[in-house]
Amino acid sequence: MIRATALYKAFDGKPVLKEVNTTFEKGKTNLIIGQSGSGKTVFMKCLVGLVEPDNGDVFYDDINFTRLSLRARGRVREKMGMLFQGSALFDSLTVEENVIFPLEMFNKTMTKKEKLDRAQFCLDRVNILNANHLYPAEISGGMKKRVAIARAIANNPEYLFCDEPNSGLDPQTAIVIDNLISEITKEFNMTTVINTHDMNSVMEIGDHVVFLYKGNLWWEGTSSEILTTGNKEVEEFVYASELMRKLKTG
Amino acid sequence: MILFVKLLKESAVFAWGSVVSNKLRTVLTLLGITIGIFAIISVFSVVDALERQIRNSIASLGDNVIYVQKWPWEFSADFAWWRYMNRPNPRPSEMEEILRRTQVIETAVFGASTSRTVEYLNRSIERVPIFAVSHDYDKIRVFEIDNGRYFSPTESAAGRNVAVIGSDVARNLFEGTDPVGRTIKFFGRNVEVIGVFAPEGEDMFGSNHDEMVLIPLGFMSSFIDVTGDRYGPMIMAQGRPNFSNDEVMDELRGVMRSIRRISPAAEDNFALNRTSLLTTQFDSLFAILKIAGWIIGGFSILVGGFGIANIMFVSVKERTTIIGIQKALGAKNYFILLQFLAEAVFLSLMGGAIGLLLVFGGTWIASQAFNMDLLIQMKNVMLGINVSVIIGLVAGFVPAYSAAMLNPVDAIRANT
Repeated sequence: MIRATALYKAFDGKPVLKEVNTTFEKGKTNLIIGQSGSGKTVFMKCLVGLVEPDNGDVFYDDINFTRLSLRARGRVREKMGMLFQGSALFDSLTVEENVIFPLEMFNKTMTKKEKLDRAQFCLDRVNILNANHLYPAEISGGMKKRVAIARAIANNPEYLFCDEPNSGLDPQTAIVIDNLISEITKEFNMTTVINTHDMNSVMEIGDHVVFLYKGNLWWEGTSSEILTTGNKEVEEFVYASELMRKLKTG
Repeated sequence: MILFVKLLKESAVFAWGSVVSNKLRTVLTLLGITIGIFAIISVFSVVDALERQIRNSIASLGDNVIYVQKWPWEFSADFAWWRYMNRPNPRPSEMEEILRRTQVIETAVFGASTSRTVEYLNRSIERVPIFAVSHDYDKIRVFEIDNGRYFSPTESAAGRNVAVIGSDVARNLFEGTDPVGRTIKFFGRNVEVIGVFAPEGEDMFGSNHDEMVLIPLGFMSSFIDVTGDRYGPMIMAQGRPNFSNDEVMDELRGVMRSIRRISPAAEDNFALNRTSLLTTQFDSLFAILKIAGWIIGGFSILVGGFGIANIMFVSVKERTTIIGIQKALGAKNYFILLQFLAEAVFLSLMGGAIGLLLVFGGTWIASQAFNMDLLIQMKNVMLGINVSVIIGLVAGFVPAYSAAMLNPVDAIRANT
């Protein structure tokens, strides 16, 4: 569980996050949505400790992350998996080596065989078969994203952060990836936080959706509730596409 | 570990990619290192070659031979030449006295030289150095005789008109025919050739035997006063192996002073010269040349170092994303630092390697064109490599440190 309390952040005196309070539950896929400039990225960065909030706290279970020393934060960070926009695999490493990378960096106790076994387990879980020794340039965009997910879960994280996981993917593959993240979240009982623009993702896997508007937490609820909020700003965002408007009008 | 090596490889690949995609920028950047390494290693190689040649020349003179002469080899700025003018020249009888009075000297040879036109049939060579020596010359100087033989004791003692000639003299005078047993003419006398020296090649002091005619001292002294100033008379004395050069010098000085009856308060009226003095003088010259090489090359390397630092800052900027991702996935600061240092060292080594290749090319051309004995020694190659590595480390440290200290925040939203 991750809990943000009264998170406030301003740049050059201009507030970009205003007293945000919310809780991301364990075993759930939590989505942060909102227009560009709404503060989603800063919120996510505050959660993972990459940006220091001016006020407020972030709790990982009962630990106040924002008050921890750098060393202590490192220990919490070892429990985080990260899925970057565009996969961000290392081109010079094979698929298997990419997955092993966080194990090499964080885990000093595992043997080489244990690391290989763990990598194989993660790759199997995301349905990457017989591609261990291929390089990122030799696999498709969807496969890259799966490998990135395998890498993100390699350290058996308790918290998974995904930044625009569907960017650059076709709609079908995007749904597969969304569902994979959702399945993994439940299977490993992780707290997953996803930063996205994609309404398909919201509808597909949004157990808990947080809508930010001009730095404020404007609305939160489930994916089924978001269609009927009655909130003007949320509806403008949700029904921004012609497709969604047609679905609404039947 | 394997991952680390792979990521170092990635750094090298990235550096290479940067080189290939920005050829002009890279060439201009690496030019400083290339010129610097070229300058330093060239100077060192030339100095080494000169040093080797001089040492070989000195060794051929006999590095443990002391020359008793009128004039010293060392001249300082305040050299009072007029005090040496009236000194007596060494005499053959003094050489015999030296051998008689001391057990420290193993061999002593008297020598005198001049130059004459040497003739054979209708061919002649002008100004051929003629060197007249007492019999034990072959014990003091290192040489080989290709054809024929050295003087016999009887020929030396009797002052027979025989000669051992240099290979160049033989080639020019006899043009392929065997000179041994033939008669050449100089001093207006017929002289029988009994041997030909093996070719020795160029010598820094012009003391090789290639262009020389060697004759017994007794022959020359039968019609010339070999103690005359114009013949540069000298006694070459070689100490016994169990005595140091300084001991031999001291003994020789005492013996010479006693032979010449010099009072204790009076100065020597002879000079004791030894080849090690020449070596010392050249050592300081070589040291200055090497310093000059460092200064010239150092400035280029300094400029090259700045170039590499600049290119590394660009590299860090271009790879901010990958740095951030690595850090976000747990890479420690030293891991990032080492990657970028490796890249800087790779670039610097590349510049240094080009510089070394230029030196190899230059020495080959110089060897072919000027018949110079130029060799690049392994120690100089290692020096070039080490300097390149050090420059890479120094120039790359600040950019690598700045990369290592980057906040992974920059990667989170990067478009990778």
